[in-house]
Parts: sequence; structure tokens; C-alpha cells
Amino acid sequence: MFPSLAFVKNLQNPVSPIAFPQRCRERFIDFLFPSENDRWLSVLRIGLGLQVCVYALFLRSDWHYLFASRGKGLIGREVGEAITSFDSPLIPKLGWLIALGRAVNMSEETVLSVAWACLLCAACFLLLGLFCRPAAIVAWFLHLCAAESGGLLAYGADNFMTTALFYLMLSPLPDRYSFDQWVVKTKPKHPQLLGFWRRVLQVHLCFVYFIGGLAKCLGNGWWNGANLWRSLIRPPFSLVAPDILVRFKYALPVLGISICLLEVGYPVFIWIKKTRRIWLVCILAMHAAIGLLMGLYLFALIMIVMNLAAFGTNGRNRKPRLAISA
Amino acid sequence: MFSKRIDAVWFGIHFSLITAVCFAGLFSLIAEGATMLPSALESYARKAEIAAAWVLGKQATASSPLRRGVATYLHAAGIQAGYTFFAPNVPGYHRLTLELFYEDGRVEHEAPRLRSKVTGLRLDSLLDRLAEERYEPIREVLVKMLAFSVWREHPGVKKIRAVFGSVTPPSIIEFEQGKAETFQPMFSFDFSLRREEKQ
Repeated sequence: MFPSLAFVKNLQNPVSPIAFPQRCRERFIDFLFPSENDRWLSVLRIGLGLQVCVYALFLRSDWHYLFASRGKGLIGREVGEAITSFDSPLIPKLGWLIALGRAVNMSEETVLSVAWACLLCAACFLLLGLFCRPAAIVAWFLHLCAAESGGLLAYGADNFMTTALFYLMLSPLPDRYSFDQWVVKTKPKHPQLLGFWRRVLQVHLCFVYFIGGLAKCLGNGWWNGANLWRSLIRPPFSLVAPDILVRFKYALPVLGISICLLEVGYPVFIWIKKTRRIWLVCILAMHAAIGLLMGLYLFALIMIVMNLAAFGTNGRNRKPRLAISA
Repeated sequence: MFSKRIDAVWFGIHFSLITAVCFAGLFSLIAEGATMLPSALESYARKAEIAAAWVLGKQATASSPLRRGVATYLHAAGIQAGYTFFAPNVPGYHRLTLELFYEDGRVEHEAPRLRSKVTGLRLDSLLDRLAEERYEPIREVLVKMLAFSVWREHPGVKKIRAVFGSVTPPSIIEFEQGKAETFQPMFSFDFSLRREEKQ
């Protein structure tokens, strides 16, 4: 009796050498394409609309000074564009738009003004959810042009903005809170496609924090608080007077180690349901502190927007419950 | 409908590139001896950095379509640089001081600046790049342009001396003892507008 029972069991769960890779593949596909609603996309769209709007307004008074040609601006657009072209001549830059403007008798100054106005308009359209996809493409393109032409003056926030706009542009827009959706009732987007683009954003953030945290862990200054002190007293980030910081000198090593652990632990603890909320709150608090204490407002805002879109909304579609019959 | 296979393949390529960029940056820090890891690892880190650069097509010639294609994609997606901000340690910062010599013998000190204070940190980003070895060939041109931007606002100036250097801020203990930051000049240039115009 016993051997025949075992035989039946084996038939029910056959173990073949192909099963394991196939199971891995299926699990990977399940991971990549979860069923999600579009709430996260609304957060990303509105957040990026706000981000691009703030970016354009911050640069308003310096826009021409930063991107004018040699002899008119700070260092001239050409140097940054030459460096970018060395990497690849196919990378978009403001010089393209200026050359295009010249063909229709528009001065450099006019083209730069139009580019700035278009960027601000695209940001407003994104905020409202009006012509979502074209607005996302225009915002990505113009921001990329500005970031590449002013490459020597760029910093981390520019790269994150390009990345976030790149993902937004490719995501299944419009979302349910957009004006587009309200005017033209389109078919609801495929939940697994929405899930895929959210996964892309989530995995990207895991890379960002893990690599950033790992690199910090390799520097002794993050373990004794010296790096936190140096970053807070370093102009132009020195918004808090060193005299005030000295009063908290015993807290600096603790904060430095906390930042390292928070970043290195992000790819693990952000996925665990029990720790997700606390990790997210800590990361958001860290970015808010960076923004307020160091004046890195654009950097803080983009990181907050990306984190909220990736992990801040409950986007899971509820599966229909199966009726259990007795 | 969308193709899961195409999306999955794109996902694989996209994150392979991000991994290569991130690890190239990380290995570069180790190879430079900037981390607290033993120096014996530096040669291995250099090899690993070269391997990561190979994935990104950087070993190919500058005109190679593969290299250009990868570079275009990296820039378009904003993933061309790693995420090692303020790591492994926070370095000192850099300062460019411009000494303005007027016709009447007056001397003033100025620094290039932007109109908006919020965007001022972009200028600091530029100064930090000027100190990097890879920007050495264009250093003089950039400093000249920065000097020229100040010159336009002070037309009476005869000559400008640009002094660039690194600033080391005091540690907490040094600060408590009253020690201030130290300035270490790295290079200086003298620019004369008239000579420029003649050329």
C-alpha cells in the first residue's frame, strides 16, 4: 500500500530538471508584472509637474546667463555641448533648438525664452494632467537639453529629474486623476503594464540607495560624524550655523551611521510589509532634512516624489475572493 | 496589449547598464584609494572598473556606433553617472577668487556668481569639476570665461588674476578651538582684456 501511495504522490508533483528554471522564470515574470492601479502614476505625474515647475522658476533669472553662447553668459553653452558631443553627438542639447531657430530667423535669446516658456507650460500641463503624454515628452526633452548644455553646472538633481521624466514619458498615461481622463473617457490601462512601470521605478530606487549607502559605508567619515559635519558646513550648503551644529556633535556619528544603514538596508526593508512604512518615512525625513538644512530643494523634492510614487501608495488591485464551498 | 517579453528584455538591458555604471563608479573610488578598504584591492578594483566600462562600450573607439548608442541611451535616461554622492567621504570645496586690477591702480576682489541664490550651487558644482584631473585640458578656457563674465560687469578693469584653490574646512574639534578653514592655491592665471582684443 505504502509504495503505491508514494508513486501517486510523485505523479502529482513531478520533479523534472526543467522545473526549477521555469519556476524562477515564472516568479520573475510575476515580480515584473504585478497587477496595479494607476494611483502611483498620478503621484509621479503631479510630483514631476511640480518639480519641473520649481526647476523652471528657480532658473528663471539665470536661464539666459547659463545657456547663452560664449561671451554672453557665464561660461557659454558651447563647452558643455562639446563635452556632451564627445560622448555622443546624438544627445539632445539646446544648440539644436538654437540652430533650428536660426533657420526661421529667430535669435538665440528668443529661442531660449521660448524653450523656457515651453518647459514651464509642459510642467503646468503635467500638473493638470492635460495632454499628459506630449507634456511628459516635451518636459523630458527640454530638461534633457538644458541639463546637457549646462552639463558642467549640473548636479545630482538633474540626473534624477531626467530619469523620472524618462519613466513618466514611457508609462501608460493618462492616469485616472488627469484632466485627459476626465474629458476623454479612455479604456482603463492594463494593470500589469502599470505594475511593470512601477516595478522599474522601485528597482531603480533600490539601486540608487544601495550603491549610495555602500559607497558611504566605505568612508570612515560616515562612521564618526565627520562627513555629516563637513557636508553641513560646506558652502553653499551651510544654511545652519556651525555654532548650532557643535551643540549636536554627539548626535552626528549616530545620524551618519543611521544614513548609511538606511540607504544600504533600503533594498531589503522597503519590500518587507512590516518595515516598509517606517523605512519610507525615514527616507522621506532624510530628504526633507537635506532640502531644509542644505538648501538642496530640487534634489529633496525629486527624491520625495520618486519615493512616494514607488512605495508611498497602495497600488495593489484586490484579487476577487474565491468562494469556499463546504 | 503589450508584450511582456519585450518589456522584460528591456528591463534586463536597462538595469544591466545601471549596474555597470554604478559599479564602475564604486570600483573607481576603491581604485583611487578613496575608501577605507585595504590598498591591496586597488589593482583588482581597477580591473573591475575596466570590465564595467567595457560593458558600457567605453573601450570602443569614439566613433563606434555601439559606444555612441549606449552613451545616448544613458544620457537620455539620466543614468550616465553613478550614485556615489558625498561618498565615500565629503571632500573639501573649491574657490575661485578674481583679483581685479583697475587702470587707476585699485585692486578689488570678486567671485563669479549667479543671480539667484538657489541656483548658486551649480557654480560650486562647476568649481569642483575644475579641480578634477580630467578637466585639466579645458581648465584655462573655463577660468577665462568665468573671469570674462565678471569683467563684463567691471569694464574699467585692466587685468584679472584668477586664483583657484581648494578649501579644507576645520573639523569639529578644530572649530571649537577657533581654527578657521584653510585655503590651498592650486593654480592661477593672469588675463588681460586688451591683449585678448588685439588677438
